[in-house]
Amino acid sequence: MSNKVVLKADNLHKHYPVSQGLGKAKAYVKALNGVSFELEAGKTLAVVGESGCGKSTLARQLTLIEAPTHGELFINDEGTTGYSRKALKELRTEIQMVFQNPYGSLNPRHTIGYQLTEPLDIHTKLSKEEKRDKINEMMRHVGLRPEHAGRYPHMFSGGQRQRIALARAMMLNPKIVVADEPTSALDVSIQAQVLNLFMDLQDEYRTAYVFISHNLSVVRHVADDVMVMYLGQAVEHGPKEAIYNAPKHPYTIALLAAAPTVNGHKNDLTLQGELPSPLNPPSGCALHKRCPYAKQQCSEVEPQLREWDGRLVACLRLEEIYG
Amino acid sequence: MKPSVLPSDVNLMAATPPSSWQLFLSTFCRNKGAVIGFIVLALMVLVAILAPAIAPHDPYELFTGQEQLPPAFLDGGNAMFWLGTDDAGRDTLSRVMYGARYSLFIGLSATTLAMLVGISLGLSAAFWPKVWGKAVMLVNDILMSYPSLLLAIIIAAILGPSMTNTIITIALVCTPPFIRLTRATAMVELQREYFIASQVMGAGVLRLLFITILPNCMAPLIVQATMIFSSAILEAGAIGFLGFGVQPPDAEWGAMLGTARQYIQSNVWLAIWPGVAIFLAALSINLTGDGLRDALDPKLKQVT
Amino acid sequence: MTEPLINTPITHTSMNGASTKDAPLLLDIENLSVTFGQGVRAFRAVDDVSLKITQGEVIAVVGESGSGKSVTMMALMGLLPPSATVRAQRVVFDNKDMLSMSAKERRGIIGKDISMIFQNAMSCLNPSFTVEMQLGEVLRKHLGLRGAAVQTRILELLELVEMPDAKNRLKVYPHQLSGGMSQRVMIAMAIACEPKLLIADEPTTALDVTVQAQIMDLLSRLQREKQMAMILITHDLGLVAQNSRDVAVMYAGQVVETSTVPEIFQNPAHPYTEALLQAIPELAIGQDRLNSLPGVVPSQYDRPSGCLLSPRCPYKEPACEVPPPILDTPTGKVRCIDSNITSRPSHAATLESQV
Repeated sequence: MSNKVVLKADNLHKHYPVSQGLGKAKAYVKALNGVSFELEAGKTLAVVGESGCGKSTLARQLTLIEAPTHGELFINDEGTTGYSRKALKELRTEIQMVFQNPYGSLNPRHTIGYQLTEPLDIHTKLSKEEKRDKINEMMRHVGLRPEHAGRYPHMFSGGQRQRIALARAMMLNPKIVVADEPTSALDVSIQAQVLNLFMDLQDEYRTAYVFISHNLSVVRHVADDVMVMYLGQAVEHGPKEAIYNAPKHPYTIALLAAAPTVNGHKNDLTLQGELPSPLNPPSGCALHKRCPYAKQQCSEVEPQLREWDGRLVACLRLEEIYG
Repeated sequence: MKPSVLPSDVNLMAATPPSSWQLFLSTFCRNKGAVIGFIVLALMVLVAILAPAIAPHDPYELFTGQEQLPPAFLDGGNAMFWLGTDDAGRDTLSRVMYGARYSLFIGLSATTLAMLVGISLGLSAAFWPKVWGKAVMLVNDILMSYPSLLLAIIIAAILGPSMTNTIITIALVCTPPFIRLTRATAMVELQREYFIASQVMGAGVLRLLFITILPNCMAPLIVQATMIFSSAILEAGAIGFLGFGVQPPDAEWGAMLGTARQYIQSNVWLAIWPGVAIFLAALSINLTGDGLRDALDPKLKQVT
Repeated sequence: MTEPLINTPITHTSMNGASTKDAPLLLDIENLSVTFGQGVRAFRAVDDVSLKITQGEVIAVVGESGSGKSVTMMALMGLLPPSATVRAQRVVFDNKDMLSMSAKERRGIIGKDISMIFQNAMSCLNPSFTVEMQLGEVLRKHLGLRGAAVQTRILELLELVEMPDAKNRLKVYPHQLSGGMSQRVMIAMAIACEPKLLIADEPTTALDVTVQAQIMDLLSRLQREKQMAMILITHDLGLVAQNSRDVAVMYAGQVVETSTVPEIFQNPAHPYTEALLQAIPELAIGQDRLNSLPGVVPSQYDRPSGCLLSPRCPYKEPACEVPPPILDTPTGKVRCIDSNITSRPSHAATLESQV
């Protein structure tokens, strides 16, 4: 069954100008440096990376909060560049977002019933009863009772708030939901409940997810495809099993090795040093200063994503490393 | 569809904790000063509203032959006039009671006007910081640098002295603190994720400013409003004292003080009662405001 | 600074019975309780917690939010607000009785012999002082160093925590440091006086995965070299597996199980431990859904009178309506009506399971 492509990112770039002071030239924070992917209905693309890799910037581009510096974004086959505010407002019904912080993403001064009704208030002309029915149904889906609609966010726990946030995102039945670290702030057992809810809603509504996370075991559970990012670019992108069973890019290997596992065996690949500043990215391959396989050419030539063993990898030395 | 959370789960949700209103009341009532201040303020408001019914005399009535009487508990006083009479023979007590109407009304109107204008300007300045925001802050700084009494004199000179003009003057002078505070609080709230969530939802500017952000800025603004209210009363008194506001024989406290200036040496009581009234009004509002701040702040920082 | 710990005898059964270890006990806590507030609003955040640590040992305290693990350590360090009442039967550190100590004496130990590092280094470092000033403060106060000796020792410490380019980082302010680097500064401050016990409260939760690995390596190395005892507070069972030998699991303010690694992963004795393990995505590869207990940790207002887990527990029985006893297991202790309860079939309806 061929699935419709609901989200297409084409070479997205985002550079933020940073003033260096009076009279000095402007510097640019290169937060995103050419990210492309296609997402089909009902599938989950996991975006994995550490802080500074550009995943939050990507989330902002995808949810139309900011426009990319260059590159194009297609939501449901509609290009978004140069769109008027009104047109963008309509597109917003197709793509929604769930945030990391359960304590910040709900408005503390409104009841959750009001916050769930808000998307309907903004985009639909339903009657009061119809709206109430819709929110009651959605609350039931996420495990809350209708009488909870009159309560304020601070009366709920973190896990419940994330469920409310997800319910709010789903109110308009969007084709895509961007989830930015939705369970990182939750305890393990609550995380399990919320992840189950994500999967159930996806089964029911065929929503596509862009699931951003740094937690590799969570990602393994929910993703269909995985895109690993480093300093604004994708370094490896492919089906989940391919990446987890046989990661090819040194950064992916290091990430998988670094996560503490219950099953005990640690790989030896620890990356030294820290993430370079996106104001002044290294020449050539962004990882070369920390990569144990780096050679001269890695500091000169910027690697592009290319096909290798069933996925896309951006590394110059794949042939030499893997023979 | 199998619900991902079984029905038993909903019963395990926390029983309703005490409501915010109950928490607010209990914290407020623990502050004895605030409670006393609130009671005094409430009494003043009552007196102001009921003045025509409870004042012993008409505030404009001249009792010839009874001018400048000292208060009833001193020698020479008259039991008919508990606080004495003024230079024209009017009952001071009645005038003080009616005076509450002017002061409280001026204070309330000026504060409300200042809030409406200040909050709108502050919110918009935070939302569009690059050009509009800078312009607003420039005007704000200019307004703050202007001595209020000078402003009152100018406005009185142009438009004539009256209660309305007093209200306008005070509102002008009291707007900058609201602009500043709203802008500062809004700038913080604009960073929050719930704001971004509303943007992603497709909310328009008006909804974002007044429905999404403003409720989260209200707590410090309410506290500020009580402080401004007391300042407004003091300002009104000063303006009336200088003769640029409510004119005698209207029984405004400041105007009464102004009239009393000439008689300080001979009859200090003419100045004392309106002065005490202004003092009590400002103090009670300040105490209530303190209590409000303590009661509202912890809720702001509420963490489950 | 809080009041000195109140010495009130409590007659519960201790969670740690006779110690089977030969090495001298470094820290001996017995029946520690922490209550916040008074009267009707009183909230028991920590209830009957006992811990024993020997020299050079690493013990992990595992629990989720609301388990009381951080509050326990803060009580030990005397860092709780005045509204907290701390009671314990015994708190002895390095043969000194902490319960009867004066505040001044306790200040001489905290920061010097017992030291703590926290989750968010950025908010624990004083934003108005440079790295040099903050490290210097510790050295001057606790070790009495002065002048050039301070500088030398600071550089030594920064090297010890593998701070890159240490010389140029001395005059730097905390906000100019990355998460990993500020965590290293905090570790440097904590080990400056060569403490006998280091309490690490979620030291890597706020860090990126690769930096986490570096910091945990660093902590392990320091612990081995200095023979420092360490209490590792975490909710990450992977960290527990790789870094500690003994584990205590806490739930809603109580210790519900003590055991050793790897036994706790193979044979969890308490239903909560079992549920925690089942919720880890890593152990659910290939499963459609993750197992989880329904409901949430009981809040202040709805604590059951018996076993605190009973509303959510798949093995619940009528006997659970009274506080459960503390029973022995082959590798530690468990607070439950049956030390083998997880080998019984669970009441399937109340435990979410795979499709």
